[in-house]
Amino acid sequence: MKSYKLSETLKRILIYAVLIVFAFVMIFPFLYMLTTSFKLPKDTFRYPPRLLPRDALTVDVPGYDEPLPLYYVDVDGRQEQFALIESNIRIGVYADPNNPEMTVELPVSDVEPRGGFTNQEAITINGEEQKLWDVPLNGATVPMIQVSQTAYGRFADPNDLSREVLQNVRLSQPVEKLSAHPQNYSEVVALQGMDRSLSNTALVTILVVAGQLTTSILGGYAFARLRFPGRDKLFVIYLGTIMIPFVVLITPLYQLMVTIGWVDKLAALIVPWIFTAYGTFLMRQFFITIPKEIEEAALIDGASRLQILLRIFIPASTPALATLATFTFLYAWNSFFWPLVVINTGNVENHVLTLSLNVLRGRASDSPNLILAGAAIAILPPMIIFIFGQRFFVESATSSGVKG
Amino acid sequence: MNKRVTLFFVLMLALGLLLVACGGGAAEPAAEEPAAPAQEAAPTEAPTVEEPTAEPAMEEVTLRWRTRPDNQAEIDVYQSVSDELSNTLEGINLEYEAGGSETSSYQDVLKTELGAGTAPDVFWIPGTDVADFATRGLIMNLRDMASATDGYSDDAFYPGPMYHLTFNPETGNTGEVLWGLPRDVSTFALYLNLDLLAESGAPDPRELAANGEWNWDNFIEVATAINNLGDDIYGYGQNAWWGPYGYWINAAGGSFFNEDRTACALDTAEALAGLEFEQRIYQDFNVAVPYGEDSEPPFLAGKVGMFQNGRWATPGTRSSANFNWDVVELPEGPAGPSNWLFWGAYVVNANTEHPEEAWKLVQALTTAEVQGKIASLGANVPSRVSQEALDAFLTYTPPENNQAFLNGLANNPATEGPLWAGNWPEYDAVMGPAVAAVLNGETTIDDYAATICNEANKAFNQ
Amino acid sequence: MTAATVGSREKQSPKSRVDLWLRVVMIWHVVLALGSLGGVAYVWLGGVTWAGWVKGVVTAVLLLLALFSAMAAVDINRRQHRGRTISLAVNYLGFLFALFGSMHLIGVFTGIDSLADSFMRGIPFLLLVFVGFFIGTLTDRYQNPATQRTLRQTSKAVMIVSGVAFLLAVGIHNGILALLSKLTDPLILLLVGGTAVFAVMLWAMWRQPSAEAMHATNADNEMLSGYLFLSPNLLGFLFFFAGPLLLSLYVSFTNWDAFGTKDWVGLANYGRIVNLDVARLDTITQLASEAIDVTVYDELTRFEILGRSYIVGAQDKLFWLSLRNTLTFVLLSVPLSVVPALFLSNLLNSKIAGMKFFRAVYFLPSVAAVVGIALVWQWLFNATIGYINYFITVAVNFLNSVGSGFFDPQIRWLSDSNTALLAVVIVAAWQWLGFNTVLFLAGLQNIPRALYEAATVDGANSWQQFWKVTLPLLAPTTFFVITTTTIQAMQIFEQVFILIPTNPAGPNNSTLTLVLYLYQKGFQRFEQGYASAIAWVLFIIIFGATLFQFQRQRTSGSSYDA
Repeated sequence: MKSYKLSETLKRILIYAVLIVFAFVMIFPFLYMLTTSFKLPKDTFRYPPRLLPRDALTVDVPGYDEPLPLYYVDVDGRQEQFALIESNIRIGVYADPNNPEMTVELPVSDVEPRGGFTNQEAITINGEEQKLWDVPLNGATVPMIQVSQTAYGRFADPNDLSREVLQNVRLSQPVEKLSAHPQNYSEVVALQGMDRSLSNTALVTILVVAGQLTTSILGGYAFARLRFPGRDKLFVIYLGTIMIPFVVLITPLYQLMVTIGWVDKLAALIVPWIFTAYGTFLMRQFFITIPKEIEEAALIDGASRLQILLRIFIPASTPALATLATFTFLYAWNSFFWPLVVINTGNVENHVLTLSLNVLRGRASDSPNLILAGAAIAILPPMIIFIFGQRFFVESATSSGVKG
Repeated sequence: MNKRVTLFFVLMLALGLLLVACGGGAAEPAAEEPAAPAQEAAPTEAPTVEEPTAEPAMEEVTLRWRTRPDNQAEIDVYQSVSDELSNTLEGINLEYEAGGSETSSYQDVLKTELGAGTAPDVFWIPGTDVADFATRGLIMNLRDMASATDGYSDDAFYPGPMYHLTFNPETGNTGEVLWGLPRDVSTFALYLNLDLLAESGAPDPRELAANGEWNWDNFIEVATAINNLGDDIYGYGQNAWWGPYGYWINAAGGSFFNEDRTACALDTAEALAGLEFEQRIYQDFNVAVPYGEDSEPPFLAGKVGMFQNGRWATPGTRSSANFNWDVVELPEGPAGPSNWLFWGAYVVNANTEHPEEAWKLVQALTTAEVQGKIASLGANVPSRVSQEALDAFLTYTPPENNQAFLNGLANNPATEGPLWAGNWPEYDAVMGPAVAAVLNGETTIDDYAATICNEANKAFNQ
Repeated sequence: MTAATVGSREKQSPKSRVDLWLRVVMIWHVVLALGSLGGVAYVWLGGVTWAGWVKGVVTAVLLLLALFSAMAAVDINRRQHRGRTISLAVNYLGFLFALFGSMHLIGVFTGIDSLADSFMRGIPFLLLVFVGFFIGTLTDRYQNPATQRTLRQTSKAVMIVSGVAFLLAVGIHNGILALLSKLTDPLILLLVGGTAVFAVMLWAMWRQPSAEAMHATNADNEMLSGYLFLSPNLLGFLFFFAGPLLLSLYVSFTNWDAFGTKDWVGLANYGRIVNLDVARLDTITQLASEAIDVTVYDELTRFEILGRSYIVGAQDKLFWLSLRNTLTFVLLSVPLSVVPALFLSNLLNSKIAGMKFFRAVYFLPSVAAVVGIALVWQWLFNATIGYINYFITVAVNFLNSVGSGFFDPQIRWLSDSNTALLAVVIVAAWQWLGFNTVLFLAGLQNIPRALYEAATVDGANSWQQFWKVTLPLLAPTTFFVITTTTIQAMQIFEQVFILIPTNPAGPNNSTLTLVLYLYQKGFQRFEQGYASAIAWVLFIIIFGATLFQFQRQRTSGSSYDA
């Protein structure tokens, strides 16, 4: 009995572990997007990558016009914060010709050619001629050969410039502090007119959702409750077209837009999407489940069809309406292919968010912080709505599955 | 009851919105209508040139024009150029539209608009696309107007671009027509990370170039030295399009096409030798950012020693590079120095209602003064052959070694160009993946040689 | 004019008033018939400079109008119900035509752009309207009638005030002025007048007394209501969907380039798509040019069966590559987004705390725009500085610290032809997973608990329960999930277009999908005829795949029933 309980607890822990891992995978890209959108461009090109935005610290040092960057350096085994006062100091690695294992690193400027520049002494090691240099070592001058060259930076204690350290800059750890740069957002709004795209997208979405709900309710009601010749055949045709991929339509629809002069106009993003077979189908499926008796009673009372629809059917079908509104909202907000074809980049005024992002990724290809700030502007509004109306969204997805 | 009020309210709102929309319809035709009389006048007057100046009373004509800028700074400059020209050009009112970026298919959008009749009057297109636009009849032949213009001469611009801009696809001769004028030119250079270079202790390519020793062997030596600094450091980087690998093919004496650009020449011994050397950079020496990865982010992150790119990469490097950098010309190949001359041109929409004004605008946009303004941004080199323009260009630093770009222009550059006898996008679509397969080691150079021209030749008109 | 005549006789008896109205409608139809005949004459004799086919279409429409108007006039005169139907149909269509025509000419549709211009200013007021609405919904929470009334009135006041403010903010005054100035255009005035006349005639015929006078039955009325309710949907559907659909079929038989030439080429486009050539090779390494006609075909693949070597050439190699990539994508992404979803939904269904939280988190990606998401993943996939390779490196280092011999693959996700498509699969599966989980969860919650209890009594462990109870009963949901995911996967475009920078076809064309290829052909090379043909081939493939799943569902479904 006890072991059963133990294994039950273990099972629970395992389940939570799996759920949490998946939750992490789902959330991480959004987290990355948000934190990166607050970074400086230089902070984004880093390996190993870091999630939180940081700024490199600088320090004002007397005698230098510009503030100098601070780095961690090792001084006598202790870690200290020094300023980088000079970079790219040429460093030679010198070795004793008798004892090649022993090397010293010195700035080449501290080293003199043995015997002068014009007449430098040389030595032959393993059949190769090597030049000899006078290397100052512990107060003495030692003749040595140069093994290789590199470059170091000169770091100094900002409070006491005489305390200096030479070390590799690339491998040094800069001193940083956490900081956010929300101005990325205003910058991306200025660069790509994201505010205008946002209001365009909102307008398009509102009109498409409202229009589609209207036509779908009317059409669904006709299919569900009114008898007229050809109804069932028409309904089958409607059903059949649901499966036709949108790309089949894209060429002729584009040509239609050319003919009626809607290329580059927001109307092209709205009007064709008001009439869909899917919405009609969804509403019809819901309307048939409403009992006929209520409707008949109302008819006898002298109510018109429109009154019946408004007073009985619509209030009773909130879940179906929510489903349709949700799907239409997401579709209209996130659609890309059709706007890409029909609204062209010339008329920036009419860009929707997805199009702006598409242009932005080229224009700001070297600043991921700006691109991801733009992506956040496009992704966050539906997400905020989702968080507030979570139940609404999830249940609508559910009902589409069960009814479909 | 309440429902009905709500419904009524919503209906009123919707009606109100409709009414608002009416206002928009009004604003547009109202703006276009004054232009209508002029549009009838312009075509009939076209043959009898030079007359518009005699009629200062003529109404203002509105021209829309467009280029593809890469950043906001460039948009601002073009906007100010547009505003200024709007004031100085008589009778012309300009509207500048910033086009999309490279990834947002600038040319395709233009074609879509041309098909729909909503394209601007004057626009910029890359050199490779001139043939496509011209043979489809989408851009206007400006030759008649050019011959009637005082002081105009084809020779004011680099001959490479002008060869294609004056090419007549019907006769196959150059110099007969005029499709547009080049906005700017650019060449490749190697962007150097001086910090990595110093750390590696390798010889400085700028000094090697000055001494005439900057060749492929030394290039490999420098790249290897830098590459050895660490696992995440690369000696060399390039991006995956026709320009960069084209250099390696050209510098070995090869070429994409045969002499008269009517057939594939990717399987000649020279072209194969160039590609094979480049393959070794990736596969044997193993000193480069993997082919196909965008080299710009790692370069800007300070992890690439030498990054092959055009002048257009300068503004981004200025703003994002956190290290000391400069440029150097591309190394000399077995067949001597080589480079590309990249260019794009302002062309006129074939269906513009104001051809005379459009031609004036094209000229105004390519004056030395305007080109200097744009060159100061750092993104491109003036397209006029003029010492003045070049001297001005040299002052726009960093990079210190601006001369490297001009040396590229001077030393045997291959001109970017359209494919008059075929379809460049098709050709590119065959060549690009095949070359990538070689550079990534997925195909041997022999397999590539056996099939490449069979496939690529289908892009030519049979 | 008609309105004035009618107004003066308002005080007549109901019966004769109906007769008068019917007579007016009848006369209107006679006028309409004669007018449209006159229109036909004008089109052919009046020197109209339209293209031939336009003339033909206009003539046909006018003749039909004349015919039906005449029929309506005759039937109305005889008081036959058919006349009412025809009259209503003609007037309704005429009304819509005139209405939309005048709206189009006034510029209402293109004017949405200027609405967008000022829309931003109006958004705060629009939000206020919603606030007002919410105040109204609060009434249910209070019992006190006085409070309810106050709330209701506040709500109404807020909504009306902010609504008016919204309309003013977006510029309704300009709209009204513009509309008035537009009405001076004679053509627009004519159309607006026409709209009004059609509307009056429609009303006259629709109203109850007319219906009775025309001997309409309940069934007749229901039929008319049916068509009326369906009409907005149906007409829009025909205009924006069915019409273009037929046009698309037609275009696929032409060589249209969107600028000029449009010649009928018959099945040539389809022929080029499916044109394959198989030839035998002497050895597997033989040159392609020795076996197939390389001026027509490109080598697609070569293979060996039973010791013999074959080569397959295709006229349009890229189509076949894109087909292969699309199918590979479907075969990878569908299981990857369905199987884990099934697994997760079963975990979530085991009555654990926080189920709703996890459900919400999993659902999050399906709310986000694909374009935005792909941009985020593009940086995550970056080979040198991206997080995914970093995580792999961390994991490998960890493993090496425990055991050893694991090496860090440093995958070049987006630039290696072996992984680029996989990267797209990962993004797509990541995005679809949560949605599918939610669907499965709903299906699971519909399964009665009693069944599980019975199974437990029979001694089935949870693994057996899953196979014997859960899976069979979940079959309808599974079918729905797999079908919709497959259809979605077949049309993959946006993920690829954004994820693979500068060249969406990917390294060595490894991410060239069918829809991407179609886009390239239709809107980059402007071979719109060929692109349409590809679209129809894609449709056939999707249709076939769906049908296949239907069949399987049906056979397996029946076995469960038994």
